[in-house]
Amino acid sequence: MKKYAYFPGCSLEKMARSYHDSAIETLRRLDVELEELEDWNCCGATAYFHVDELLAYTLCARNLAQAEKQHLDVVAPCSGCYKNMFSTRAHLQHEPDLADHINYALEADNLKFTGTSAVRHLIEVFVQDIGMDAVKAKVTHPLRGLRVAPYYGCQILRPRKDQEDVEQAHFFEDLIAAIGATPVEYELKLRCCGGALIITNRKAALSLVRNLLQSAAAAKADVIATACPLCQVNLECYQKLVNQEFGTSFNMPVLYFTQLVGLAFGLPPKKLGIGTELVSAEPVICHARSKPS
Amino acid sequence: MADKPTFREEIAGLLHASMGNPLDMCMQCGTCSATCPVASGGFMDNSPRRIIAMINAGLKERVLKSNTYWYCASCYHCTVRCPRGIDIAELMYGLKRYTVWHAKTQEDLIGPVFSETFVKMIVRTGRSFEPVLATSYLFTLGLPEMIQEAQTATTLMLKGRLPLLPARIKRLDNFKRVLKRIIPLGDPDA
Amino acid sequence: MSKRIGVYVCHCGTNIASTVDVKAVAEYAATLPGVVLARDYKYMCSDPGQALIQQDIKEHKLDRVIVAACSPLLHEHTFRNATKQGGINEFFFQMVNIREHDAWVHTDRAKATEKAKDLIRAAVYRVPYHKPLEKKSVSIKPDVLVVGGGIAGIHAALTLANAGKKVYLVEREPTIGGHMAKFDKTFPTLDCAACILTPKMTTVKTHPNITLWTYTDVVKVDGFVGNYKVTVRRNPRYVIEDLCVGCSECVAACVFKEPKFPDKFNLGLGKRKPIYLPFPQATPLVAVIDPETCIQLKTGKCKKTCVEACGDRQAIDFTQKPEIKEIEVGTIILATGFKIFDAKRIPYYGYGAYDGVYTALEIERLVNASGPTGGELVLRNGQKPRSVAIIHCVGSRDENTNKYCSRVCCMYSLKLAHLIKERTGAEVYNFYIDMRTPGKGFEEFYSKVSGEGVNMIRGKVADVFLENPTDKNGRLIVQAEDTLLNIIRKVPVDMVVLAVGLEAHADANEVRRLFNISCSTEGWFLERHPKLAPVNTFTDGIFLAGCCQGPKDIPDTVAQAGAAAAEALALIDNGSVELEPNTAFVVEEECSGCKTCIPMCPYNAISRNEEKKVAVINEALCKGCGTCVAACPSGAIKQNLFEDDEIFEEINGVLAHV
Repeated sequence: MKKYAYFPGCSLEKMARSYHDSAIETLRRLDVELEELEDWNCCGATAYFHVDELLAYTLCARNLAQAEKQHLDVVAPCSGCYKNMFSTRAHLQHEPDLADHINYALEADNLKFTGTSAVRHLIEVFVQDIGMDAVKAKVTHPLRGLRVAPYYGCQILRPRKDQEDVEQAHFFEDLIAAIGATPVEYELKLRCCGGALIITNRKAALSLVRNLLQSAAAAKADVIATACPLCQVNLECYQKLVNQEFGTSFNMPVLYFTQLVGLAFGLPPKKLGIGTELVSAEPVICHARSKPS
Repeated sequence: MADKPTFREEIAGLLHASMGNPLDMCMQCGTCSATCPVASGGFMDNSPRRIIAMINAGLKERVLKSNTYWYCASCYHCTVRCPRGIDIAELMYGLKRYTVWHAKTQEDLIGPVFSETFVKMIVRTGRSFEPVLATSYLFTLGLPEMIQEAQTATTLMLKGRLPLLPARIKRLDNFKRVLKRIIPLGDPDA
Repeated sequence: MSKRIGVYVCHCGTNIASTVDVKAVAEYAATLPGVVLARDYKYMCSDPGQALIQQDIKEHKLDRVIVAACSPLLHEHTFRNATKQGGINEFFFQMVNIREHDAWVHTDRAKATEKAKDLIRAAVYRVPYHKPLEKKSVSIKPDVLVVGGGIAGIHAALTLANAGKKVYLVEREPTIGGHMAKFDKTFPTLDCAACILTPKMTTVKTHPNITLWTYTDVVKVDGFVGNYKVTVRRNPRYVIEDLCVGCSECVAACVFKEPKFPDKFNLGLGKRKPIYLPFPQATPLVAVIDPETCIQLKTGKCKKTCVEACGDRQAIDFTQKPEIKEIEVGTIILATGFKIFDAKRIPYYGYGAYDGVYTALEIERLVNASGPTGGELVLRNGQKPRSVAIIHCVGSRDENTNKYCSRVCCMYSLKLAHLIKERTGAEVYNFYIDMRTPGKGFEEFYSKVSGEGVNMIRGKVADVFLENPTDKNGRLIVQAEDTLLNIIRKVPVDMVVLAVGLEAHADANEVRRLFNISCSTEGWFLERHPKLAPVNTFTDGIFLAGCCQGPKDIPDTVAQAGAAAAEALALIDNGSVELEPNTAFVVEEECSGCKTCIPMCPYNAISRNEEKKVAVINEALCKGCGTCVAACPSGAIKQNLFEDDEIFEEINGVLAHV
């Protein structure tokens, strides 16, 4: 099985610990080897690119160069980290002069970027590299009857990487179906949760969160599945605030797709970080417990 | 004697690394603005389309006074839908950088302070640490909002989700040397 | 070989003379071997200039002529002609381009002058090796093939037939009429499409000079200008065309009591039975049986009530097989039309997902009296819409789908706005980026429709949402930025009409290969020159008419069809066409029969003579590209005007000072 350099990203240390735990557990089940990227630094989220482009590319390039040193492709569970590193690699390959300039700086840490390490999103690895059949094979507790709203968010699909159709993705639904659950169609699955704005424009962010929750709820979803810690925090941790602001009464569990996959693999919920949510995921777990295959 | 670049030219220069088409190609169709979750929700003072029109018309002051780009959620939906192939999300990043570097950010925006605090933190330690970031916006909130935020933070802490100690990368000295070769940041600890 | 070469250096006004010292160049030319006279002259292409050549040939007994002037594309034939008029073979002439290749691309006068000298010297070395070539001519057969039976094909066929020519009109659908037969009214006059089209269709059917073959595909095209051999396949309708009178008793009698299968003519909005007539004015008015859905054809076990109903006419024949036919024609006109953009490629407009979203063509069928709802514009639930949004530029003017503007959509969107408002009284909103109404009467039409109270909102629609996410049949919200008012509009409507753009047919690339022509990057058939030769192709004898060459409306289509017919008539009336002799030829004794050259020819001009086991080049198809000449491992292929000695001498001439 393939080995990857694992880039957890800052949020997976604490805020999205459950994503980290469930990712490790499920990948272990699927015989995928992960080697943490050595001494990785923050990818910059959106902030770096607000301040200086050169600095931002350098900070991302350091991670990519480190991955090259380890002779591995990078896998990032967070959409923000994924997008930053993917774009950095693409830009530096497109502009060799810029790459030279940055390599001069990276020399100070004994690193060099040449672009040989590819950047993958964790869900891509599940869906493309591991494949649905392999995932299905490990499912012992199919989540039958569980209605899951797949939330793609923004930065997995956008900006376009290679001419692909960004408006008709269905790989997340396929993954949900592979673990026995029922993927739910809802209009806003590709729309922004306002993650980047939760601090800088709270009103806008809460409005976007509200719309998303409403859309998923109208489609009678039991749980929203995400593939990004910022999305998860936004949709889950601020639900109470949304309810206060808009007089709604949302109580929608928001879990990482790896947690759902883990439940379908029969892994104990605690190991998957379930129990650390602000909106309880108990209803979801009941589904998994009550129907072994 | 070289001519000073026009505002329009300056902005075009900001997008040199972007692989999108030039801003001049904008046909003002409004797709970006109606797609933008923030603009279509009424949270921006100028729509992205209007910003591009203002840039193309050289209306520098009005662009600098706008909050549009600081409220961009970086979702890239405008970029993938633009029929003229302009990378609008990158433009927003470019405008943010422009105002930061020209020290022309508006006082009432949280974004600039937040981003600068974030970058300073990374430059110092290589990793982010939420509690430090809180300082950049907490005091702009009114009292009820501050209390709410404190409540959310407490709940998260009790669930073990809030980092209590800042992280650091190991090769921090090298890291700082890398940065010095890229950009003269002065003393980050000052 | 001693030659008597005359060299003429043209000033071309100041075009050449301002950069190149033409006098010095002429003086230099006079010193070159074989040159007996060298002149500089203001305008060589003028009458006196040409007369000068003729005069000099006679007086000074010149046997070779060189003119250093503009590009050969412009005046090579002029000077060849002058040479011929002077009394020597026209191919004893060589043109040197010191304008586009020298004066127009350099600024340094001294260097440009030296370059001119080098180029002329090259020609002086080359031209003694020119051979006396003769232009061959091929005769043009008088019959014409028109491929495609839409308004373009119909008009071209009628024009030619009325000129007394025999025309084969081949159409792949079971009826002619094309897209125009589907329209309700046409802009800007609001003429009923069927009313103006069907008389022409009937004339096609009854014209003694037109052989109409519908439900027919072109399978193979061999030959060259004036002499095409075309193989077509007449597909089985399982109904004998000559016996069927179109009474449709068979349809009524079919064992399927109710129509069940999607009706292609009505874009799937209506249903038909396995046996059907495409539409009431179909031409020919003959039934068709669909082998995919007919029980008899699929299982062999049916009561065959259709046969019974047909009675004495006995027009139904389940044993019908495809019929191959071969025809010989001199010219071909392609009028294969277009297809509409597949709106499913833009999922955020909701087509195929939400009930209330339609394409413009579907609306044409709904408002048409012979359509699936008898002309009632109603939603799928049977109710009239109270508000309708028409979205312009769907699949056009967009880097993500098609970059080009489809030209007709603004006008047809205004037309539909008018028709919808007239029929239903609904509130209509046209969402546009620019309003493109350039034709005769078009701007007036726009004013009229605006005056009728249609809301024009300048903003490209970003999304179509459901008002109630759980109700796919319910109202829709159309979201766009009104760029003139500077606000975001979220307009609730019952119905959304997508103004889909035009595209080349999905198999355009295969079809073009059949006819040995090219397609542009957008997939349309490629014209020879976008401004000056819009109906010609790069293959002589094959012409284009209508939307297969690019999106256009009916007036322009008809004009082009007339133009294509005229081009064909010009060839036919002339009776023959002259071929340029710069073709390649095989020296048989040197050909090893290795067949390397045959697949290389982009024009399929090379074939194999099985008896002699050598390659043979068809001079009429050869365009003189030189590929086979270079590829031949034995060096057995040579090209007139570009033989080895000619080329090597030219190279020597250019490099002589090095």
